[in-house]
Amino acid sequence: MNIAKSIVFAGLLAIGAHGAMAQAPAAEAPVTAAVANEAAPVAAANAAAPAESAKAEAKVAAPEQLKPEPTIGQPQAKELGFQEQVTANGRYALWFHNGILLPLITIISVFVLVLLLYVMFRFRAGRNPVPSKVSHNTAIEVIWTLGPVLILVGVAIPSIDLLAKQFKPAPKEALTVKVTGYQWYWGYEYPDNGIAEYVSNMLPPEKAVANGEPGLLAVDNRLVLPVGRPIKLITTGSDVIHSFSVPALWVKIDAVPGRLNERTFTIDRPGVYYGQCSELCGARHGFMPIAIEALPQDKFAQWVASQGGSVTAKPAEAAAAAN
Amino acid sequence: MKHGRTAKIALAVAFLMFGVGFASVPLYRMFCQATGFGGTTMRGSESELAAIAAGGRAGTGRQLSIRFDSNIAQGMPWEFKPEQRIETVRVGQKQMAIFIARNLSDKPVTGRATFNVTPDQSGAYFAKIQCFCFTEQTLQPGQEVRMPVLYYIDPKILDDQDNKDVQEITLSYTFYPVEKDGNQG
Amino acid sequence: MSTTITADGGHGHAHDHHDADHKPGFFARWFLSTNHKDIGTLYLIFAITAGVIGGAISGLMRAELAQPGIQYLHLWAQWSDGPTATLDQAYHLWNVLITAHGLIMVFFMVMPAIIGGFGNWFVPIMIGAPDMAFPRMNNVSFWLLIPAFLLLLGSSFVPGGTGNGAGTGWTVYAPLSTSGSAGPAVDLAILSLHIAGAGSILGAVNFITTIFNMRAPGMTLHKMPLFVWSVLVTAFLLLLALPVLAAAITMLLTDRNFGTTFYDAAGGGDPELYQHLFWFFGHPEVYIMILPGFGIVSQIISTFSRKPVFGYLGMAYAMVAIGVVGFVVWAHHMFTTGMTVNVKMYFTAATMVIAVPTGVKIFSWIATMWGGSISFKTPMVWALGFVFLFTVGGVTGVVLANGGVDDNMHDTYYVVAHFHYVLSLGAVFSLFAGFYYWFPKMSGRMYSEFLGQLHFWVFFIGVNLLFFPMHFLGLSGMPRRIPDYPQAYAYWNGIASHGYEIMAVGVLIFFINIIWAFAAGKKAGDNPWGEGATTLEWTLSSPPPYHQFETLPVID
Repeated sequence: MNIAKSIVFAGLLAIGAHGAMAQAPAAEAPVTAAVANEAAPVAAANAAAPAESAKAEAKVAAPEQLKPEPTIGQPQAKELGFQEQVTANGRYALWFHNGILLPLITIISVFVLVLLLYVMFRFRAGRNPVPSKVSHNTAIEVIWTLGPVLILVGVAIPSIDLLAKQFKPAPKEALTVKVTGYQWYWGYEYPDNGIAEYVSNMLPPEKAVANGEPGLLAVDNRLVLPVGRPIKLITTGSDVIHSFSVPALWVKIDAVPGRLNERTFTIDRPGVYYGQCSELCGARHGFMPIAIEALPQDKFAQWVASQGGSVTAKPAEAAAAAN
Repeated sequence: MKHGRTAKIALAVAFLMFGVGFASVPLYRMFCQATGFGGTTMRGSESELAAIAAGGRAGTGRQLSIRFDSNIAQGMPWEFKPEQRIETVRVGQKQMAIFIARNLSDKPVTGRATFNVTPDQSGAYFAKIQCFCFTEQTLQPGQEVRMPVLYYIDPKILDDQDNKDVQEITLSYTFYPVEKDGNQG
Repeated sequence: MSTTITADGGHGHAHDHHDADHKPGFFARWFLSTNHKDIGTLYLIFAITAGVIGGAISGLMRAELAQPGIQYLHLWAQWSDGPTATLDQAYHLWNVLITAHGLIMVFFMVMPAIIGGFGNWFVPIMIGAPDMAFPRMNNVSFWLLIPAFLLLLGSSFVPGGTGNGAGTGWTVYAPLSTSGSAGPAVDLAILSLHIAGAGSILGAVNFITTIFNMRAPGMTLHKMPLFVWSVLVTAFLLLLALPVLAAAITMLLTDRNFGTTFYDAAGGGDPELYQHLFWFFGHPEVYIMILPGFGIVSQIISTFSRKPVFGYLGMAYAMVAIGVVGFVVWAHHMFTTGMTVNVKMYFTAATMVIAVPTGVKIFSWIATMWGGSISFKTPMVWALGFVFLFTVGGVTGVVLANGGVDDNMHDTYYVVAHFHYVLSLGAVFSLFAGFYYWFPKMSGRMYSEFLGQLHFWVFFIGVNLLFFPMHFLGLSGMPRRIPDYPQAYAYWNGIASHGYEIMAVGVLIFFINIIWAFAAGKKAGDNPWGEGATTLEWTLSSPPPYHQFETLPVID
């Protein structure tokens, strides 16, 4: 059977393509700072403690809050397609959709429509009063079985490649940020920078608009991230399942109670990027937005310092410094 | 009668699938434990560790960093943190991580920890010899305990294409209260 | 309405079928019914009623979504939760509405209509059988639906967490449905699914037994009309999938009420197990809803092209293939839950495979028309609409199948658009097509051809305006299941709500047409569709005698 074969084929293809991706040379970034040193004294038991003590001594002002650009990082009125992407994988996925999938499904739909219209016109009873009795044609049946198989194989190659890119594990220099979903707000923690979890709630829409931000998307405390440095998000849920989703980053990952998920991405331009919880989580599911403020590395370091943390020190050292 | 036989077979299939639904609970657990699906960790042992050492694979290959993540269920009056957030390890060597838990309330509280590792595909190589998560833990009011996890990374991770680029494995725990009266909302 | 249909039609032919047409009294006939045609009629009436309720709920939703901001929800909440209803209770009411709409349309509209209604009416006739294999069990299957539906509706009036009613979504994911929804509403909704599911499983057993054992002499499996094939495959899907749902939601019940922890991480369970089990049922479920539609459309296209179905065997086994592959693709509904790259790659590839047998069906329908002598009667225009709109819904499914792309589209309105194109525009179009195709046979009356065509065009324009803009909303990121949205999404939401209004007018024309048919419709002959209609139902009178085929037909 064609179908059985195509399943096996698709499966083999999936494995083969993935294997090929995996063998591609991985860009091993040179590791500059040594990761956690076992000898370092540890006082990280309470992540809040270093943050507080550091706050007391270093009074660094937070960088001025970034104003969102109206055309990026948020949905546009009457928009027909995806939001502009600010990660490399996002742009690749966008190309895959706009360059391959969308033309393909448009062509297929129009092809079927044209065939239908032609048949309706050409073989209408008025014009073709005597129907033919043809009910088999092996050649054409083989063609319309194998044709789609070939098309799907063509689609599968970039699709599998995209997955392989999205799942490339985080490099050593990645910044780890922990995201926790609550009913109905988000909690953000920077475990390696000595910034304890803070809470991000939706701004009342009037306030958001007064602030030059989109209503229902703006929050009181944004998730602040550096530009150009890989970010490893680890997510979990506190009560029910939530989903952390930011369309401009092409990132959506569930926050599930009792387990941890991770997703890696690199933002390549500063800006404010909005998203919304994307798994039904109860009454105020529609009102727990996400706002990411992506800052250049120096500004990000300034923000971390203003929160009483440190961006350069690795976790053990940060903890030691706080002591 | 022919009808009866067909119907009985069909109903038997339905009952079988109903059973499969329930059987999926242990089957899913076994599947996760066997394959590391969903970031499930493996159960390791000293003897396996010895076998790894005997095979000359202990301490070979690249370094991995192990990150420890801790969570407390809502309403559980504990503090629960890893002593050290990140450790650098080599495969095949026994490691010990310490988690510190403290009961902040004035009542004894029993808790049980769930766990998984990310990235998911590394679960199959993360072997725990001893863990506080295997059993329930009871803390007296104000009591603080240091809870060890003995683990190693199976050197087979070095041969796995899917783990080739993995630099850091995160081991996450969430402590939940064990409700003795079984009262649930 | 039920009595009129058959009573009226029955009188018209009473002279021809004295013995075969002996009918029991009203109560015995409609409440203790064992006649497959009467039960089919009951199913259709039930499905239309449930469809009106489910459709009205979507009307409430489109009214609220017509503009940004909360316009009506808090007012409705005062009605459902009392005058002191809070804003949170209003938001909860939103979740109750989406849950009820989904469950009603899936379990109480599409399934009863397409399997219970048309399946009961025409599977026995098409295979030349006097009735279903187990007539009394058939009756039980139908009457289980009534308490199930009442339980679901009743759940809206008891506490379900933040407010009254079950606000979990039709997927009833744990832990929102367990620890996240205190109160009896979710329990009632789960029981409702149990009962409806039990009825469907009995129905599936009945169809399988009937189709395997009661075919007339000469009616081999490979001569069965494609509608019968589609119901056979569907019955197997029901038999394999529904018990798994029953087990999954039984465990939800015990997690909620008896302290078990199957899905509760606190006790060593896993909330994702519920999703695996749900979608192991849920994905075949979408084929349960659409396969009989494939069957109906095949009959209609063949009839009105006056040609046999092109590639009959390929068509039959494409449905078998869709059914089989449908069981191994479920996790594409869970792409964002945190799976390894290999698992995502497998489910991406496996899901795309389904496009192949689906393509075979679409091309075979076109090839059936090719060389035919096509007349554009009402059922045919609905079937043509089905072929095109199902194609559109199918290709967006291929887009969503890509796990890497789905990271942006999952749980957005793009998904809503996709599954409404395959169900609301696919399954519902096939339902209307089937209704217009068989209405003369079932009632003995012709409807107004003009109103039927008008219904099609108004409905066609309405649903496309309603659902096509949802693609745009989804692409630009609008999540599902939210009662209010950022200003930027206002434009397309406004268009969609206008589309709903047009669609509602279409439905109104449908009802006017039915009334017109009973009031003024011409009597239908045995075969109003001409030589293209070759299946056995067209050899009987319209409506068929109360007991048909007392001497079995012989198929050569």
